Amino acid sequence: MKNIFLADDDADDRDFFIDALKEVSLPTDITLSNNGLELMKNLENLIQHPPPHVIFLDLNMPFKDGFQCLEEIRNTPKLKDIPVVIFSTSASDIYVDKTYEQGANYYIQKPSSFKLLVKSIEKVLSLEMWPSPKPQRENYILSIS
Amino acid sequence: MIRIQLAKALRSLAFLNTEKKKRAAELIVANKELVFQNEEKEKRAVELFIANKKLVVQNREKEKKAAELIIANKELAFQNEEKEKRAAELVIANKELVVQNKEKEKRAGELIIANKELAFLNDEKEKRAAELVIANKELAFQNEEKEKRASELIIANKELAFQGDLKERRATELIIANKELESFTYISSHDLQEPLRKIQIFSTRLIDDESQNLSEKGKSYVLGMNEASTRMQSLIRDLLGYSRTTTSERKFVSTNLNTVIELVKKDFIEIITAKNATIKVVGECDVPVIPFQFHQLIQNIIGNALKFSKPDLSPLIIVKSKIVKRSEVISDKPLSAEEYCHITITDNGIGFAHKFKDHIFELFKRLHDKDKIPGTGIGLAIVKKIVENHNGLITASSEINKGACFDIYIPSNLPL
Repeated sequence: MKNIFLADDDADDRDFFIDALKEVSLPTDITLSNNGLELMKNLENLIQHPPPHVIFLDLNMPFKDGFQCLEEIRNTPKLKDIPVVIFSTSASDIYVDKTYEQGANYYIQKPSSFKLLVKSIEKVLSLEMWPSPKPQRENYILSIS
Repeated sequence: MIRIQLAKALRSLAFLNTEKKKRAAELIVANKELVFQNEEKEKRAVELFIANKKLVVQNREKEKKAAELIIANKELAFQNEEKEKRAAELVIANKELVVQNKEKEKRAGELIIANKELAFLNDEKEKRAAELVIANKELAFQNEEKEKRASELIIANKELAFQGDLKERRATELIIANKELESFTYISSHDLQEPLRKIQIFSTRLIDDESQNLSEKGKSYVLGMNEASTRMQSLIRDLLGYSRTTTSERKFVSTNLNTVIELVKKDFIEIITAKNATIKVVGECDVPVIPFQFHQLIQNIIGNALKFSKPDLSPLIIVKSKIVKRSEVISDKPLSAEEYCHITITDNGIGFAHKFKDHIFELFKRLHDKDKIPGTGIGLAIVKKIVENHNGLITASSEINKGACFDIYIPSNLPL
C-alpha cells in the first residue's frame, strides 16, 4: 500500500486525481489537503507514522502556496526526505527553476486528458524516490505521452 | 522980556510938539517894525522849535549809532588783537615753512634722481608690458576658443542630458510594458490553461467512459469540443512562446547552425519519416545566438516546410549557410554588423503567393483554411521576432506551388 499525499485547492482536480488513482494498478492510500496550510497540518499529524511515499504538490493555492510548503518541508528535519512532485497547470520556466532549486523531486504539468493523468501517477509511483535523490535538471520535468 | 521969553518958550514948546509928533510917528513906525519883527521872531521861534525837535531826534540817533560804534569798535579792537596774534603765529609758521621748504627742495632733488632711475625702469617695464600685452592677447584668443568650446560642450551636454532623460523615460516605459507582458504570460500560462485543461479532461472522460451512453451525434459533438479546446491550447502555448521571445533573458552563445538543425531533425523525426522528407545541409556557420530562441526559429521554419509540403511529393528542404560581408546583404534598413551569417532555407512545398511575402510574418496571419492545414498563425511572427532579437534580417520569397525560400541574416559577431 502506497501512502500518497495530494495538496490541491481545485476540487475538480482532486476528483480527477481520486478517480485516476482507482485506475492505477498499485494499491494506494490518499490523504487530501485543500491548501498548503492543511497539508502542513496533515504532515504534522502523521509525523509519528510512516511518512508518505510521495507528496503531489500544486503550486497556486490559497493561505500557503506550494513554494512555501516545499520550503518548509525541505527545512524540517523530519520531513525533508519526503519525495515531492510538483503538480501544476503552469510549466513556466520561473516555476520549474524555482522548485528545482528548492529541492522538489519532479515536476509534472497537469495533463490535459484523463488517460495521461493515470499514466502520470503510475509513472511517479514507479520511480525510486526514497530517500529523495535529486534528479538532473534535464530530467526534472516528467513529460508523459 | 517975559514976552520974549514966552515967545521963546512957545517956540520951544511948538518945536517940542513937532518933535514929539515926529517921534510918535517914528514910534508908530518903529512899533510896526517891532510887531513885524516880533512876528518874524515868532515864526523863527516855531521854525527853531521844529528844527530843535529834529535835532533832538537826530541827536538820539547819533547817540545810538555812537553807542553801536563803540561796541563795534571794541569788537574791531578785539579782532585786531586776534589778528595780531595770528600774524605772530603766522610769522612763526612761516619760518617753519621755510625750513620745511628747504627740506622739500632737498628731497625734490633726491626724487629727481630717483625719478630718472624709475624712468629707466619704466622703459624696461613698458617693454615687458608690451610683451605681456601680446601674450595677453594670445591668451585672450585661446580663452575665447576655450569658451566657445565650453559653450559647445554645455550645449552638447544639455543635449545628452535630454537624450538621457528620454532614454530613462523609455526605459521605465519598457520596464512597465515588460511587467505587463509578464503578467500576460502568467495569465496565459496558468489562468487560461486551467479551465481549458478541465474541458479537455471532461470531454475525454465523456468519450472514454460514457461513449456507450452517447449517440453518434453526441460523440461527434464531444469530439468537436475536444478539438476546439486542443486548438485553443496550442494557441495559448504559441502566444506564450511569442511573448517569451520578448521577455526572456537574452544571453548570446556561439552556436553551430548544423548542430541546431540536427536537433530540429530529431524534434520532427516522426513527420520526417511519415512524409519521407529529406533535409540537406550545405555549408557551415558558427553564430552567436540566444540558443533556445534560435532553436525555435529553425524549428518553426523547418516545421512549416514539412507542414506545407505537396501531398504527392516528398519534402526536400535545403539549408545553406555562409558568412557574408555587410555589402553583400540586400536590405533597405541600416545594418549594424560587419559580417553576417546568411542562412537560406528552401523547400519544394506548396509555397505562397508573392504578394503575401511580408504578411506571412504578421501575428495570427494564416493563408490556409484551418480545416485543411492546422496552425495558429503565430509561428512566423515568432520567427521574425527572434530574428529581430538577434539584430538580423529575414525575407521570404515564393510563388504558388513553387516552394518557399527564407533568407535569414544573423550578425556573425557577438553583439556588444
